Amino acid sequence: MIVTENLVKRFGTKIAVNDLSLQIEEGEFFCFLGPNGAGKTTTIKMLTGLIRPTSGRASLHGIDIQEDPIKTKSMLGYIPDTPFLYDKLTGREFMRFVAGLYNIDEATVRTEGEELLEMFEIQAVGDQLIENYSHGMRQKLSFASCFMHDPKVVVVDEPWVGLDPKNIHFVKNFLKEKTKNGLTVFMSTHSLSVIEDVADRIGIIYGGKLLHVGTLDEILALAENPGSLEDVFLQITQDQEQ
Amino acid sequence: MTQIGAMIGTKLRIVRNQVASIRDESYLKVSVVSVAAALLWIGAFVTFYWGFGTLQAFLLDPQTGAALSDIVMARLLSVFALALFFMLTFSNVLISFSTLYRAREVVYLVQAPIPYRTFFLARFAECIWFSSWATAFLGSPLMLAYGMRTSASPGFYVASFAFYLPYVTIPAALGCCITMVLARVFPKVPRGGLVGAAAIAVLFLFLLARNQFNASRLADSTSDQIANAVTAMAQTQSSFLPSYWAAHGVLLSAQARYADAFFYFLLLLANALMALLVATVIAERLFYKGWSDLWGNEQRGTREAGRGLLAKIDRLLSPLREPTRSLVIKDIKLFWRDPAQWSQFVIFFGVMALYVANLGNTSSNFDRPEFRAFVICLNIGACTLILASLTSRFVFPMVSLEGRRFWVLGLAPITLRQIVWQKFALSVATCATFSLGVAFLSCIKLELSPIPFFMSIYSVVLATLGLSGLAVGLGSLYPNFEEDNPARIVSGMGGTLNFLLSMAYITTLVGVQSTVMMMDALELYRSERAYWISLIGALTFVSFVSALVVTVPMKLGLRNLDRAEY
Repeated sequence: MIVTENLVKRFGTKIAVNDLSLQIEEGEFFCFLGPNGAGKTTTIKMLTGLIRPTSGRASLHGIDIQEDPIKTKSMLGYIPDTPFLYDKLTGREFMRFVAGLYNIDEATVRTEGEELLEMFEIQAVGDQLIENYSHGMRQKLSFASCFMHDPKVVVVDEPWVGLDPKNIHFVKNFLKEKTKNGLTVFMSTHSLSVIEDVADRIGIIYGGKLLHVGTLDEILALAENPGSLEDVFLQITQDQEQ
Repeated sequence: MTQIGAMIGTKLRIVRNQVASIRDESYLKVSVVSVAAALLWIGAFVTFYWGFGTLQAFLLDPQTGAALSDIVMARLLSVFALALFFMLTFSNVLISFSTLYRAREVVYLVQAPIPYRTFFLARFAECIWFSSWATAFLGSPLMLAYGMRTSASPGFYVASFAFYLPYVTIPAALGCCITMVLARVFPKVPRGGLVGAAAIAVLFLFLLARNQFNASRLADSTSDQIANAVTAMAQTQSSFLPSYWAAHGVLLSAQARYADAFFYFLLLLANALMALLVATVIAERLFYKGWSDLWGNEQRGTREAGRGLLAKIDRLLSPLREPTRSLVIKDIKLFWRDPAQWSQFVIFFGVMALYVANLGNTSSNFDRPEFRAFVICLNIGACTLILASLTSRFVFPMVSLEGRRFWVLGLAPITLRQIVWQKFALSVATCATFSLGVAFLSCIKLELSPIPFFMSIYSVVLATLGLSGLAVGLGSLYPNFEEDNPARIVSGMGGTLNFLLSMAYITTLVGVQSTVMMMDALELYRSERAYWISLIGALTFVSFVSALVVTVPMKLGLRNLDRAEY
């Protein structure tokens, strides 16, 4: 479960996230939608503890991220939009490194680590240095390593860049399947078709402020004329611009 | 605009923009870097000026009044020129590899309709600049000091300037040729063969250097020492060496023999142009094939799990607790697999090996207590200086090198304290292996008695802790997460500050203990008790300073990382 209460982040005079309050339940697939510069990545960085909120609080399963970062991080997984990894490690070595950071034993690395590499179709290149990986392969390695410690909450920031259609399909279903076992997913993306397929609820953010939260049907109902999520999104953001 | 003009012009505009952006930097940063650079230049000039002066005074024959220093100083310039030639060739091999093959813009330039000859010439200009600006910076005080000490004619300064570009062109062209041939051959040769060839080359160079030093073995009488030194340096006087043309030409201009100097200038220029022509032809024939092979070699990055030296180190570290073990293994692997890192480390290792090998070079003068104490102090200074260079170059950038990957650590259930102290522990363990090794070997070779032996080892232990703390602490206080090149991280403000503080720290460390040892050697203590009080006081003081040097920067660095946002 993810809860944010009146979360604010200022960069100098600019307010990147303004009074964000959200409650995302266990096993929910929450999609975060907004134009560029709306505050999605800043929100994600606050949820993952990479940056501190100016005010307000964020918690995972009832534990404040700032107060007990070790405990919250041990149940959190994060997949960034640009997977900067250690180029001079092999994929398999990176998995072992991440396992070490999360105190996962060697036997688990050998079994579950290999399973994840196979699942994300990078087992064959597991002994190659990451510097030789394509963007998509790096992204798949990020996914595989993220699930090494069986997180309860996964935060995903625009994960589709570089992934081919087959992999997008696989990742989408993989995450959705995991939510059935209690995983909470917070995903920021611009792929409206993906949101339509997987989201339990959608949040629309604009200029740092959360404008609407609801299920797909509730969001679609916001439009003056019934249409697709794309139509609704364009109308909402256009209204805000005006 | 021509293609080569467009490429070089763009680089010059980038430099201009970088210079302009200095205005946006903090005054403190600009001041620290500028003052450090100025101090370094002035320090080098004073050292060279003093050195040449001492040599002149030392080599003046009191009976005949003949100045032997002219011969020795001229030979020294030849040695300097030859050493510069080898250094530039080596650094150009490394620089040309990154400039011709690894730089990000190479992909863009190779796909553009640019002939490889043109591409090479534009990139070659960059190689020359990157490889030779530092030698020009540190060579200029040497030449100025020499000119002033020998009352050289004004033509000497003009010649020093004019000879420089053709001179550095030859090793640059040679370095580029070696790289292009290696890039063509490298993907086709098994790794074992490459390692073996590299090991043989390193061994050959070591033996060559060791023989040179042995030839200049210290003798008991001054005249023997001069004869030995001149003989040892005779090999630099071959008229087939570009270093000889440059040094000889510049020295002739110092004597106002301009026509002869001009001959050597033309000889050097003709050979530089020929070397460039050969390199261009090689580039035309080999560059693309090598580049294509390097990028197309799919198996290049394969490292079979559980095999090789790194896997052995991995197993060796299994008693360590997680996450420390994973962090240590990761740092070792990243270091080992980065040629820019370990190739420079090999140079450090070579310098240390040469230093220890050369310590057998003794004379009966060593039996005099004050001379012996002086040598012991110099030995501590040399060991700690090597250590300071190691920590400044390799330890300081460790935190910055996490760079844009810091999110991996930032998300893990570990504290920043664990990460930073792990880097400190790794630095201490690695540096201690080398520094204590050098310290023990040098103390044994110098046949030190127990007290100087203990003081030497204790100083190196303290310096290992202090310099590691300083480098990791300041590396955390001034991290540069945008830069992946460790050499550039080191050249920033934090790196400069770290180097200056490291120098100040080892000066204090060595200075305090040297004072006690020299006073004892000169029998300035009134009693045994006074000596022991001074000795214990000195050791307590340096221990206290070292504790401060570890804790204060580490605390400040941790506080800075804790406040930072990733």
